[in-house]
Amino acid sequence: MPLFEVEDLTKCFGGLTAVNKVSFQVNEGDIIGLIGPNGAGKTTLFNLITGFLKPDSGTVRFKGEEITGLEPHKIVNKGIARTFQVVRPFRHLPAIANVMVACLSPRAKKKLEWLKSPERKALDMLELVGLSEMMMEPAENLAHGDLKRLEMARALATEPELLLLDEPFSGLNPIETDFLTKSIQRLHLDGYTMIIVEHKLHALMKFVKRVIVLHYGEKIAEGSPKEVSQNEKVIEVYMGRKT
Amino acid sequence: MIRMVGTYLKRIYSAFATNVFDVPPRLLSLLFFMLLLFLPVAKLELHILRVITIAFIFSIFAASWDLLVGRAGQVSLGHALFFGIGAYLSAFLSKFHGFPLWATFPLSMLFCALVAVLLGFPCLRVTGPYLTLVTMAFPLILSVGLFALEPPFGGEGGIALPPRLLPIEDLYQQRIAEYYLILFLLFVSGVVLYKLANSKTGIVLVSILDNEMASKASGINITKYKLLAWAVSALFASLAGCLYAHYIQTTPPGIVLGLTTSFYPVIMTILGGIGTIYGPIVGAFTLWSLNEVFEFTEELRSILYIAIIIIFVLKWPKGIAKFVVEKLDELTEKRELNDKKK
Repeated sequence: MPLFEVEDLTKCFGGLTAVNKVSFQVNEGDIIGLIGPNGAGKTTLFNLITGFLKPDSGTVRFKGEEITGLEPHKIVNKGIARTFQVVRPFRHLPAIANVMVACLSPRAKKKLEWLKSPERKALDMLELVGLSEMMMEPAENLAHGDLKRLEMARALATEPELLLLDEPFSGLNPIETDFLTKSIQRLHLDGYTMIIVEHKLHALMKFVKRVIVLHYGEKIAEGSPKEVSQNEKVIEVYMGRKT
Repeated sequence: MIRMVGTYLKRIYSAFATNVFDVPPRLLSLLFFMLLLFLPVAKLELHILRVITIAFIFSIFAASWDLLVGRAGQVSLGHALFFGIGAYLSAFLSKFHGFPLWATFPLSMLFCALVAVLLGFPCLRVTGPYLTLVTMAFPLILSVGLFALEPPFGGEGGIALPPRLLPIEDLYQQRIAEYYLILFLLFVSGVVLYKLANSKTGIVLVSILDNEMASKASGINITKYKLLAWAVSALFASLAGCLYAHYIQTTPPGIVLGLTTSFYPVIMTILGGIGTIYGPIVGAFTLWSLNEVFEFTEELRSILYIAIIIIFVLKWPKGIAKFVVEKLDELTEKRELNDKKK
């Protein structure tokens, strides 16, 4: 049984079909890239999965249980965490408190190790993403790259089984990109299942086993990065039609 | 000479701030309460005593508003609803049903928390300015309803109460006793609200204020936390209402449910410093003292004190209390730096 399954998911905004009958499956330990040009419906798909938007039709299943249209916090507590494309820190709170909020969710509390405080766990999460030196710094003083990592730490603190990363590389410099790539690879080794949205195929090539390509809300290709990059439809979408 | 004394005082303070009390707000609040504790020794006039006691009541009220708005970000302009319900219910129970006073307080507090939760369910579907407008309507509706009732229960004057919050023969003694009772309740509610605001629950409440979507994505049931903030806030607001009703011995709906009462905590909190809990207490005292200072000129009173509030808010937009605390922090830091240089 796949860990996570999306079937015929559809969402319309007025006359525009943002996501059109998208289906795919994710097995445990998979790391999947979700790519497509701007406006292809990647973020909308994420919002549908995580409950921030309600789908018009179709189902989302996680560990065999239907979670379509549940409230976002319930979905997080089932074990699906996400990051946002545009960072959403809690600006007034110091970095460690940002992560603490996630440590105080019911799921994180239940999974807290014996004799471990949420504070300690939040600090561990900050250490994992390399932000522990900034722990007392209010989030509004952090640089963009740090906020991206903070976002990641917050998602990890909810003890997810499936991690959805929405454009984790956007706005990062090469050094930060490198660091993040390594973190993601380490998380993959730790057994996290991940779906990563990115509009540049290049950044994902290194560590993604399977890629799903969206275009105008429809899934146009799925396969290994190599297969996908040779797929004619995909080339057409990215490069334009051959003449 | 004066400069010498000044530097000496600064030194004493920073030695205390770094070594004895780590947190300036805590030290300052402690000093403040000590001062209030010994104030009646000065044989104040009855009138002044009354003004200070009412400032205590409004401090509780404003602090409860601050928890709701400064922490959870639920801007309510109808906080008089809980004040008024508390006042009415407590007066009603003690006058017409013979409940002892100490029993009416927790009963009306719990009732208000219940009302807050029940109203919360429909209200929390809207956010931002819409929520503010919705909350504003409730106390007005209720006060119109109470106006329509026949005098013993409602009408313009509300329910008239016997002049006893505490049964003591001598008027001055009674006022002093009430002063201490209400000071004690202010201290307790201040500590409870401050502890709650700075607990883990408080962190979650601030996260809701900062970014609701991100709180949801962190697995937080924001409706639950918002309702909690509403309930706790209503609890203390209604305590203030109960005290007010028994202190002024009547419950005029135009006052206890009036717009002015809804706006008082807003002014006090912004004046003192939003999101701090101790700020509103400072604000309440500032507002009430200003009100007293301009006692002599009835016509210009409102204009004068509003002008001063505007100046305060422009000069210290973060609030008086926050400004003072930040300044003291700076002083301490400077001294620490100097010590390091040596």
